[in-house]
Amino acid sequence: MDMGRSMGVAIGVMMGLVICVCVFKAVNTNKKIKTEYDERQLLVRGKGYTIAFYTVIVYEALMMILTMSGIEFPVQDYILHVAGIFVGCTVLGAFCIWNDVYWGLNNDRKKYIWVIMGALALNLMLAAGAILNGSLMEDGKLGMPMLNIMVVIMLFIIMCEMLIKHVMDNNGKSEEE
Amino acid sequence: MKNLKLKSARAAKDLSQDELAKICGVSRQTMSAIEKGDYNPTINLCISICRALDKTLDDLFWEE
Repeated sequence: MDMGRSMGVAIGVMMGLVICVCVFKAVNTNKKIKTEYDERQLLVRGKGYTIAFYTVIVYEALMMILTMSGIEFPVQDYILHVAGIFVGCTVLGAFCIWNDVYWGLNNDRKKYIWVIMGALALNLMLAAGAILNGSLMEDGKLGMPMLNIMVVIMLFIIMCEMLIKHVMDNNGKSEEE
Repeated sequence: MKNLKLKSARAAKDLSQDELAKICGVSRQTMSAIEKGDYNPTINLCISICRALDKTLDDLFWEE
């Protein structure tokens, strides 16, 4: 990547962080940026972070071995590393949803789901645009728009799991109460 | 092992899991896990549950 593009990415990341802070303040019921969890949620989330950590370690080790073996991937190198982060985030999200610790005490679930759906739609549009105008490839390999596709895949997995868990919880709720 | 004493004390107060969870500052799922015996709460949470239900620790958490 050239200097100008690197600067663009850095500014984009900073803008993203500012937007994230604003969104978190808007979607939390007590207007705090930080999500609050109870003691069981913190305990289970700790296990989730451990699993996600080891998943990323295994992924990076695997990528290193495959790269050293001379295997060429049809994606840019930086995409391979970012993919590891997405894999870790997906594992953590999936584990937390499955163990009822995804939503914090101060989260407005409906607003959060709208934000997730908005991010999904935005990334889907950007990915579709890149495919249509032929900017998906960089020097014969999948480039920056691949990030949008990975976000779409991650959010889609999370939304599907939320839906499955919601249906399962509704079926078991009457027994619990 | 299920905590039936907690469940019956909650029912006697006419509180749902969600309402009791809100009073104690935890999620409904955590309250459900305590009742089902899937999670052992800390002493602080035990005390706040007892206070919410006007019971003692012995009443709700001591196994004979």
